[in-house]
Amino acid sequence: MSKKIYEIVDKLPTGGLTVRALKTLDNVVPGQWNNLVGFDHTIKTVTGETDEAMVKAIGERAIALFNDKKQGYQSALWLYQTVDSASGALGAAALANRIGQDTFLGFLKNLTPKPEKAQTIDLVVKLVAEVVAFCKISGIPGDSLGDFLAALGDYGSESLIRMAALVSFDGIIPLGADFSLKALNAIKGFSPGDIDGNQTFKGIKDEIPGANDGAKLSFMTETFESTKGWMDKFVGDHNITQSGLVDNLGGFIEGSKGKLDYLGAFLDMSVKYYEHTGTQTLARRLIERAVAEI
Amino acid sequence: MSFTRWLRRLAPLMVCLVLLVTACSSAPSKYDQVQEDTTGFRAPAAVDKKAEKGGTFNQFFPDDQGGYDVIPYQEKKGFAEYKLEQNGTTMAMLTINDTASLPSAAEKFSSATETVEGFPSVDQGSTATALLVNGRYQVKVLSRDPSFTQSDRVAWLQKFDLQGLAQLQGAANPAVNTAQTPAAAAPAQKKPGFKLPRMQIPRPDPILQPAS
Repeated sequence: MSKKIYEIVDKLPTGGLTVRALKTLDNVVPGQWNNLVGFDHTIKTVTGETDEAMVKAIGERAIALFNDKKQGYQSALWLYQTVDSASGALGAAALANRIGQDTFLGFLKNLTPKPEKAQTIDLVVKLVAEVVAFCKISGIPGDSLGDFLAALGDYGSESLIRMAALVSFDGIIPLGADFSLKALNAIKGFSPGDIDGNQTFKGIKDEIPGANDGAKLSFMTETFESTKGWMDKFVGDHNITQSGLVDNLGGFIEGSKGKLDYLGAFLDMSVKYYEHTGTQTLARRLIERAVAEI
Repeated sequence: MSFTRWLRRLAPLMVCLVLLVTACSSAPSKYDQVQEDTTGFRAPAAVDKKAEKGGTFNQFFPDDQGGYDVIPYQEKKGFAEYKLEQNGTTMAMLTINDTASLPSAAEKFSSATETVEGFPSVDQGSTATALLVNGRYQVKVLSRDPSFTQSDRVAWLQKFDLQGLAQLQGAANPAVNTAQTPAAAAPAQKKPGFKLPRMQIPRPDPILQPAS
């Protein structure tokens, strides 16, 4: 049974941990994100169209485009969903590792990766997933690399909040303020064997460009290296700090201060921000194409 | 007696309830029909094989001008879209698509009463104005800000290189309807200010391919 995009968008949550965690980022990028849910509501909001017959026609074209597998929307959605659930498994592993350090369950350490290494791979894989999903959804717009980078840099609303969440929840909170440098240095020192056992990587490795794990690792390294400047500027421009983020999250995750590795693992397991905002991005672009084509 | 009477009245209700619960795992939607029609083995492709490559259309879009920025946004098979921004605010979307994939999109122009630059033009819904080139390529401007009016849309439609687009011979399907080419359409003449051919820089990586 094929997934129904209109049901997926209709069922996006309006509350819960993911939405609350994303809303704490309103302090970071004010006014950028409103939680757009509901298929028809998204059509009306994105296009400004109010005529019901037009809304239905747009919806029907969007569904037809989504259901055509060659158009790439289904695999983009799969990427957003998988990178979240795979990193959730990582969160569980990281938590088990932390417990392993504190209790008799020391043997768990042999089964789970060091949190920092796992978090680094998680961050890099998620960034790569974003670039790959972008290309699946939007193609490679324009005639030149410059055009493509302009399109990639022109992030707004749910795409921007997803990047803010990536930098904050998967970068600064688990790895600290110098997360980008730390992660880049780490990944440059990795061998294919280091990433091979990682759940997040395994989850989406077939979609990462490259004939083998070595080529995939170099694609990941290049992607991270070329995006590092953007991430650092984003952190600087918006004055994002670890303590500021934790203060915001502390509002609904009790006792998280001073236990940042627990907090990172907890966010990994319980917050599905890639899937949530990724679905919103996909729906927006699909609808924008549909309204133009009919 | 009265018990049997009640039972008789209740029975159809119960049957309906059972049917509802078992047959409908989710509420019916107005989109169920299109979902059924576009899934499964015999589902038609959403985009025609003969549709023009989206990148082919890039050359016909207007350039930045008059305080407006024209930013690449989407490029899929048979479709290209640019965002029109003014001071960082999205005012409109500019698109070209190949109606080979969706003939009904071209059919709406058969009743067009207006023309823009000689091409049949229609308003669609409350936010879109479109025209059709060669009976095949739809050029559309969609307002995204209330201050961007219908006349703004028409003005921006005129900024596309429509004559250039009219020269485009469908790569895979040369059978274009030339009847709708405006009689005044001169052979492709470079207008003053015609954009220079963009430099073709190799794509970022052969593996960074769009899905379609």
